[in-house]
Amino acid sequence: MVDVRLLDKKEATEQALHPLESLSLARRLPGLIVSAKEVAATVMHGVHGRRRAGAGETFWQFRPFVYGESTSRIDWRRSARDDRIYVREREWEAAHTVWIWCDRSASMGYVSSLALQPKIDRGLVLGLALSDLLVRGGERVGVLGLTRAFATRDIVERLSERMIEEASRPGHVAAELPPADPLAPRTQAVVIGDFLSDPDDIARTLHGMASRGARGHLVMIADPVEETFPFTGHTEFRDVDSSARLRVGEAQSFRDDYMTRLAQHRDRIREIAGSRGWSFTVHRTDRPASEALLALRMQLEAGLGG
Amino acid sequence: MLGLPLAFSAPLILTALVVLPALYYLLRLTPPRPREVSFPPLRLILDLQAREETPARTPWWLMLLRLILAALIIFAMAGPIWNPLPTSEGGRGPLLVLLDDGWPAAPTWTQRVAAASERMAAANRDGRPAALVPMSDGAREIAALDTTRANERLRTLKPAPFSPDRMQVLPAVQAFLAKNPQAEIVWIADGLSRGQADAFAQGLAKAAGTTRVQLVKEDSLPLAVTATENAAGGLEAQIVRADARSASAGLVRAYDKKGLAMGEARFDFGAALETKAQFDLPIELRNEIARVEISGEHSAGAVSLLDERWKRRRVGLAAGSSSDVAQPLLSPLYYLRRALQPFSEVREATAGRGDPILSLLEDRVSVMVLADIGVVSGKAHDELLRFINDGGVLLRFAGTRLAGSTDDLVPVRLRRGGRVLGGALSWDQPKQLASFPPESPFAGLVPPEEVTVTRQVLAEPDANLPNRTWAQLADGTPLVTAERRGKGLIVLVHVTADTTWSNLPLSGLFVDILRRVVALSGQVSEAAGDAGPVARAETLAPARTLNGFGVLGAQPLTAKPIPSGFNGSPSAEFPPGFYGPAEAQVAINTLSPGEKLEPAAYDPQFTRESLMRAEPIDLRAALVVCAFLALLVDALASLWLAGGFDRMRARNLRGRAAALVLAAVLGATLLGVDRAQAQAPGAAQSSALATRLAYVVTGDAKADEASRLGLVSLSRALANRTALTPGDPAGVDPARDELAFFPLIYWPIVASRPQPAPDAVTRIAAFMKQGGTIIFDTRDALTALPGGPASPEAQWLRVLLAGVDVPELEPIPRNHVVTKTFYLLDNFVGRTTVGQTWIEALPPDSADQANRPARAGDSVSPIIITSNDLAGAWAADSNGNAIYPLTPGGARQRELALRAGVNLVMYTLTGNYKADQVHVRDLLERLGH
Repeated sequence: MVDVRLLDKKEATEQALHPLESLSLARRLPGLIVSAKEVAATVMHGVHGRRRAGAGETFWQFRPFVYGESTSRIDWRRSARDDRIYVREREWEAAHTVWIWCDRSASMGYVSSLALQPKIDRGLVLGLALSDLLVRGGERVGVLGLTRAFATRDIVERLSERMIEEASRPGHVAAELPPADPLAPRTQAVVIGDFLSDPDDIARTLHGMASRGARGHLVMIADPVEETFPFTGHTEFRDVDSSARLRVGEAQSFRDDYMTRLAQHRDRIREIAGSRGWSFTVHRTDRPASEALLALRMQLEAGLGG
Repeated sequence: MLGLPLAFSAPLILTALVVLPALYYLLRLTPPRPREVSFPPLRLILDLQAREETPARTPWWLMLLRLILAALIIFAMAGPIWNPLPTSEGGRGPLLVLLDDGWPAAPTWTQRVAAASERMAAANRDGRPAALVPMSDGAREIAALDTTRANERLRTLKPAPFSPDRMQVLPAVQAFLAKNPQAEIVWIADGLSRGQADAFAQGLAKAAGTTRVQLVKEDSLPLAVTATENAAGGLEAQIVRADARSASAGLVRAYDKKGLAMGEARFDFGAALETKAQFDLPIELRNEIARVEISGEHSAGAVSLLDERWKRRRVGLAAGSSSDVAQPLLSPLYYLRRALQPFSEVREATAGRGDPILSLLEDRVSVMVLADIGVVSGKAHDELLRFINDGGVLLRFAGTRLAGSTDDLVPVRLRRGGRVLGGALSWDQPKQLASFPPESPFAGLVPPEEVTVTRQVLAEPDANLPNRTWAQLADGTPLVTAERRGKGLIVLVHVTADTTWSNLPLSGLFVDILRRVVALSGQVSEAAGDAGPVARAETLAPARTLNGFGVLGAQPLTAKPIPSGFNGSPSAEFPPGFYGPAEAQVAINTLSPGEKLEPAAYDPQFTRESLMRAEPIDLRAALVVCAFLALLVDALASLWLAGGFDRMRARNLRGRAAALVLAAVLGATLLGVDRAQAQAPGAAQSSALATRLAYVVTGDAKADEASRLGLVSLSRALANRTALTPGDPAGVDPARDELAFFPLIYWPIVASRPQPAPDAVTRIAAFMKQGGTIIFDTRDALTALPGGPASPEAQWLRVLLAGVDVPELEPIPRNHVVTKTFYLLDNFVGRTTVGQTWIEALPPDSADQANRPARAGDSVSPIIITSNDLAGAWAADSNGNAIYPLTPGGARQRELALRAGVNLVMYTLTGNYKADQVHVRDLLERLGH
């Protein structure tokens, strides 16, 4: 029998109604940070390949000086070796901005015996690893609705600090979806969550975010149990966010219905995402996090235009 | 109940079992709680109609468990008792207890007595009299006694060492039953048919009529030793049992006359009813054996007594003719050897050892057999004569050589040549043997008809001849003659030891005759002189007899001397045992050789009960425990069905911790009981009986010694100066010892010692709460800087007192009662004088107290803290000389320190008493100045 459980209130991060409870996030985050960095490192060395070897981001090329240019741009050391006068050109460094958002609501604090990690852990690992990866790649990263976009080497720590801070705010209830504020054009958004909300809400949020042309990626974290529905027998199902309960005599008879519903739900979300040119991937917590991160990175690379 | 030894004290409650089917339906209808599962995507399917809402039925095994649980509780409430006490069965008349008291009853005698007394007690409850009839009672009339007297009778009964004849009791029983037709009959039987049990059972059944006889019988019947035989290989004990249910193997032990164990042998019946146990012992040891008994049987039947007849004699054989190996059947020695070997050790002269007779005598034989040796002469003759005079037996057989010439070692004068009967030249028929004369040692043997004598040597007629004749032929000619010579005996058989003169050596009689003669070799010394025939006492007085348990002891009053040659079975008059004078005792055994034990055939109408009844066991507790366990299992199963374990696993840490705590509490409770009981009361007792000062053993040897000496010295001062005579100071460990007996505990602080355990601190706190006083002495008056950082001792004390409810403290005010309890003191000095002494703060002055000379609180201060090292100042050796130097020093300071100690002790003992009256005059005077 599959064993499922919700993270304990102290364990889970979402219901940070009390400052002390947010400490648990603080307690968990260091471990998550480490794993996020590890995941980011594997992906970085795996695909990125460092095509621009050396300190490429500072030096691009020398080109002959063109009259009318500011003389201050002349590279005198290079020019002294030659008769010509050279200008040192730097790589064009206009960084992209990537907004990340991790669902930290109650339904994310769910783990079954089949999974490697709770969903929330996996989401945070993915988000933080991605931010680390992006910052190293020279992009600016921020958390939607929480921070501005910035690029520092300790981006992971910075973001997690802010998350802890937010969670420890009294009366804070983690939202299921990011704020629907429009994002600036040419920015990208990565929304990580379980997307178990009403598809209409999701559509509204997504349309709001993309209204100015921002592109984005939805990563749906799913526990294996949520995909396979391995329950049998007399079972009472309990919702996580609400007090809804469903008592069924024979749980196995619900499997097909559930699978259909789940597929419909996902199709709907995929459709919503596709209508805006956003990508949608499903990531199961029994798969390694690097897998999802790799896919995400590939999509981002495509989105950033190389 | 149902053939089981089970009874219920409240059987009506069992009717509640009929509700079990109802319970079954109830349980079927209420299913267990469903598994509870958290499921975030629930809202996707929340609107789905549940199609199979039929709840799962309670699993059959859970239902079975619950039904068993209910049944267990019902059974437990019905008060089940395993092996219930027998209820008195219906008899309205008196109780008749027939008690087999022969030796077969001895191994289980206590149970028999218990069974009889139980039944009599049951009869007593009904107010019925009881008649106790032991089978050895004979034809005495039976009278019903009240049960107390019957019980007294029962206690005096002991099993008899024989099997009493039950038929003698039967008439009395019949008479009793005729008089009391409603009597309840209980026969506590031994299960053997000995003593006419079968006939008695029939008679009893007839006499009882319609009344049912309760037969109390043991399942395993006793074992017995029927015979012992000192055979060639070793001493063999013949052991029999009545049926195959008796013990099948065991040990037989052999003892000598003094009761020392000589050896033991194992026996195993296998499937047979009789077996042999053999003692492999040297012949000298075997001849010492006087008693053989089955180990653990404890009955007279399991004991076999051995006398001289069982001794295995060493017999020397010598023949006149040269031995012919090729034709052994023609050698007389052959017959002798075969006849003697079963019961004696046969020695033959080996060739090449010189004179055969001499060499045999050197072998220390008891019986010398000379077959057809006519003349023994020279040294052999002298030695042989001396052998006979010393008590040896010389057995001679006739032959052609003897017929030719004889020496003087014959009992009678012989005629030359002898006579031939039934030969070719004679008219006579071969002669048969006459029956043996009664005074002959062969008396009792029956001469077989086929034994005939064709030739013999003849004795000269003589006045003594009839006296010396042990056996004769039909015509009166002597066949065996004997004569006492010195302490010994000369026996002459007038025929050869082979078959040439008669066929006697081929008969069993030959063996018997030899056996008797060889047996005589032990007894010959008994009758001194050669007064004709072997003089044997007419009767033999009992020396030591067996009781029913198989123990040798003084003979009972009923015992009579046995006639010599007694051959009957033992009875009350002739109990088994040793008879006769000490040097020639005759053993009478309970069983005769060849006897068999047979189980009795009781009337099938008798109701049977086992003697070995187990103790009644109240099953209620066991059932309740079982029900409780079933309840636990049920709870766990329900929890499991509802998925409770999964939730528990989520909190397994806490759960485990809780379980651990629970286990620890349980264990602590159990251990705690033990420990509470284990606490040695010795020291506490002496503390409770005398007021003693106490100090805390810190573990620092120097400080402890100072404390002890100081308190000894203080105790001495108290005894000298005050009405208090304290006992010796005690060293206590607050973690271990009971503190309640001490009014005052002195605690020197040693900062290097570890803090006491938390439970010790709680005990200290409890001690202070209950009115005890502790003086903490930091002894740091010189090292601590006033107003500076706390000294290590002070810090240690602070840590210690963190767990204790310490009242508000103040330096001892000048008018505090502690300064006035015995001496009038200004301050409390020890080895140092500069330290401050703290005591519980007194309540603020009330108006009427303001001008009083001494103030006191309502109780004694539980804590006094000083830093002046009081004990160091008090400490003195046995002569009263101070041990530790003082600062600044002087006898006055020491005296003040002692006074301070006296005051402190008085304060703890008297409290605020001194605040009222004493010293009032002095105080007033002093105030007046």
